[in-house]
Amino acid sequence: MLSTLTSIFIATASVQTAPPVVTPADFWLPIGASVQAHNVDLMFNIINYICYFFFVVILAMMVWFVIKYRAKPGTRIRTDGMTHHTVLELSWSVIPLLICIAIFFFGFTGYVDLITPPKNSFDVNVTAFKWGWQFKYPNGAQSDNLVVPSNRPVRLVMRSNDVLHCCFIPAFRVKKDIVPGRYSTLWFQCDIPTGIEEKNGYHLFCTEYCGTGHSNMNRRVVVLPQAEFDEWLVKQAQWLDEIPDDELYFKAGPKIYARCQQCHSLDGTVGLGPSWQGVWTRLTTPGGARFSDGKSYSDIIGLGKEYATPEDYIRDSIYNPGKHLVATYGNVMPTFKGQLNDRAVDSVIGMMKHLDEFDAKGAWTKTLPPAAAKTETKSEQK
Amino acid sequence: MTTIVTPRPELLDTSATNDNYLTFTRGFRSWALTLDHKRIGVMYMSAVLASFFVGGVFALLLRTELLTPGRTIVSADTYNQFFTLHGAIMVFLVIIPSIPAALGNFILPIMLGAKDVAFPKLNLFSFYLWVGGALFTLYSLAAGGFDTGWTFYTPYSTTTTTGGVIPVLTGVFILGFSSIFTGLNFIVTVHKLRPPGMTWFRMPLFLWALYATAIIQVLATPVLAITVCLLIVERTMNIGIFNPSMGGDPVLYQHFFWFYSHPAVYIMIVPAMGIISEIISVHAHRQIFGYRFIAFSSIAIAMFSFIVWGHHMFVSGQSGLMNTIFSLISFSVAIPSAVKTFNWTMTLYKGTISLTAPMMYGLSFIFLFTIGGLTGIHLATLNTDVHLHDTYFVVAHFHYVMMGSALIGMIGGLHHWWPKMTGRMYNEKAAIIACIIIFVGFNITFFTQFMLGSQGMPRRYYDYLPEFQIYHVISTIGAYIMACGFFLCAACFVQSLLGGKKAPANPWGGRSLEWQCTSPPPHDNFSSPPTVGNCYDFSMLRWDEKEQGYVVDKELEAVAIAAEARGHS
Repeated sequence: MLSTLTSIFIATASVQTAPPVVTPADFWLPIGASVQAHNVDLMFNIINYICYFFFVVILAMMVWFVIKYRAKPGTRIRTDGMTHHTVLELSWSVIPLLICIAIFFFGFTGYVDLITPPKNSFDVNVTAFKWGWQFKYPNGAQSDNLVVPSNRPVRLVMRSNDVLHCCFIPAFRVKKDIVPGRYSTLWFQCDIPTGIEEKNGYHLFCTEYCGTGHSNMNRRVVVLPQAEFDEWLVKQAQWLDEIPDDELYFKAGPKIYARCQQCHSLDGTVGLGPSWQGVWTRLTTPGGARFSDGKSYSDIIGLGKEYATPEDYIRDSIYNPGKHLVATYGNVMPTFKGQLNDRAVDSVIGMMKHLDEFDAKGAWTKTLPPAAAKTETKSEQK
Repeated sequence: MTTIVTPRPELLDTSATNDNYLTFTRGFRSWALTLDHKRIGVMYMSAVLASFFVGGVFALLLRTELLTPGRTIVSADTYNQFFTLHGAIMVFLVIIPSIPAALGNFILPIMLGAKDVAFPKLNLFSFYLWVGGALFTLYSLAAGGFDTGWTFYTPYSTTTTTGGVIPVLTGVFILGFSSIFTGLNFIVTVHKLRPPGMTWFRMPLFLWALYATAIIQVLATPVLAITVCLLIVERTMNIGIFNPSMGGDPVLYQHFFWFYSHPAVYIMIVPAMGIISEIISVHAHRQIFGYRFIAFSSIAIAMFSFIVWGHHMFVSGQSGLMNTIFSLISFSVAIPSAVKTFNWTMTLYKGTISLTAPMMYGLSFIFLFTIGGLTGIHLATLNTDVHLHDTYFVVAHFHYVMMGSALIGMIGGLHHWWPKMTGRMYNEKAAIIACIIIFVGFNITFFTQFMLGSQGMPRRYYDYLPEFQIYHVISTIGAYIMACGFFLCAACFVQSLLGGKKAPANPWGGRSLEWQCTSPPPHDNFSSPPTVGNCYDFSMLRWDEKEQGYVVDKELEAVAIAAEARGHS
């Protein structure tokens, strides 16, 4: 039954294809940049005016009566007030009921538009985890921020690696919980490109409480015109492959480290995970740091042991983070299996080996020799 | 129906008035093992107010942390524990027991003209269950605290490493039974101990409200017990009920949880509505407008409360059809709420209004509940809820309802019945100033959060975007103002206990039975069985300067009886 209703409302809701309008931020609502935002805002404002009306009526009656009928103790008690008035009482039961039914109905039709993606939508795969996002595109490209084409419906197919998360893009007026063990979807269409600059993108939040880093899961939604988007998509799929092996650690390293820095510092600051400061020395010195089970690095790394080389250990720590826990740290790191490929892991390991060339924020501080500078200009943005 | 003349307080047996429930027996044991509903009520009230203080301190710590983005005073993990504790304490230890168990225990039997509740021992047991639950909650802090949010959503709650999750769940389980026993006691008491002459439709509206609440407590709370049991089982024995990695379903948990926790919202608000019906009518000295509509609206809210829980889950992955049905049913709650609000306002019309401290709280309640109720429309509407869900808009909305309405109603009720409970008056002017400070602080704190939420700020955020800071600063300032108001309010009560004027039997001019016995009431409540009249007919009352309270005027009483007789002939 709902599906027939749905199709009726989709038909009537073709108003969506109206020219792109951006609703500027006002007292109540932030900027509205999706094709759906207009209807939601309209509903929000209609309800607001209904609320203002009833609030003013009740407040005015209350204040007026209190002022008019205020009396000091000792005043003779009035007895001329009516005890009830069935018509009056029925009217303030029935009129709000009718208003509520109307609001429900328009809210419902608006909701059906909000949750029904058009057939020609562009799909992006979204993985949420503690505490970050991964956006994957049909050509295999991956990105940390959500990059989407403009003037085209986009459908997010979302899953969670661990606990509940929720994808919320205020400017688009869309939100959907991401439940582990099932896919959830959300769609929007934005007709106003933001340009490639990340800082101009729309905010994307996690709105289902998920622990320590819950409030640090904000990312940006970057909207590009279709042609620009296609170009970005191709580059994004290949960027790691185009970097020469010996330049991986300083060109790709910092970009990948951006996903690690929330928990792993470079300057020894204690975070949710061990700092990378001096990590390579620790790994290669006998003794080294201790694990929570009392073993030390040299107990598991070395010929004939669990890991032949430190590189093996790092790689496995990224893919199976719970296997060996460095003492005092909890089992909180998500796996990056399927998210970081071998080249990405190589660049992270390379960065760990050359930490003296990076500042505390992960920026590379050395300059390129003139010959290498040429390739630098070609490297693209993530 | 017979009209029975109310005896005047001064005609009561004087030997009983010299002794009251507070001084009837002395010593720690006489309180700890008491079966007197009044003493149990007072113990509940002290315990609830102590918990309220603790919950309030956490609220202020939260607001202080949110003064700046990023770290202000504590780390993210500590912040997560703070908001969890604030929520859990305020919901389970403060608001749910505050009106039924604390005020209700004291007032309900006296309003019925009864000596005690139906099962006094069960009543004491339920108090000790509350204490047990509170101790478990306290112990959970020592065991490592818990950072799950008061909603305990899975799989976060079954996988978090904080050690206090199982102790606090046990605490909630025990507190649930305390609530069930109180509800059971009240249902039986209202059915069985009404005095001759008090038909259902002659009961004060506070009793209707407590009765409706008791029904919800008895029917909904067992589901909470089951839910926390399943959660404990999953956490300790790794049986997959809610965790998808073991074959469970997290959304099932949300259904279970809200099946209790939505009705729980009405366990909190319905008794406060009952208090407001009393306060508005008594302090306006005016027959409550539309008694039957208000009484039935309490029952209607209790019934609707069971079938609207899905509106907490519009974006949770619940099907579109379910969302639609729940949205439609949720609107039904708006009708009884609107009826009550309009009827309270009309009760002021042609009243003889005393702007006393309880009345100020009553008027604050109408103001705040109107805002809290109306913003519920934004959240019941499907497409606007998608934007507002899990933002500060929701936080503001439920604080307007739970704190601005339920808690303000409780504090108002405490001011209303304080003279009866303690036998002392408080400094009226200071109490009114405290009320105004709380009211102003409250609106500064929470109205800003509506804007914060509709602008897109998610709830339970430790860190936030710089553009939201101004709202957070204003909100925090409001919270400090509110805290000052509560401290002044507490100071008034302490001053009253230490050196307050002696309270008359009927300081406000009420007509329900509790105003017939002395302040404080004797051990047995009434030395002779009280007589039941129309508890909302104030025409026979006269302010007595010597008594500093209201007394029944013989001549006016004769007029009232004649009028009633004419009405029946």
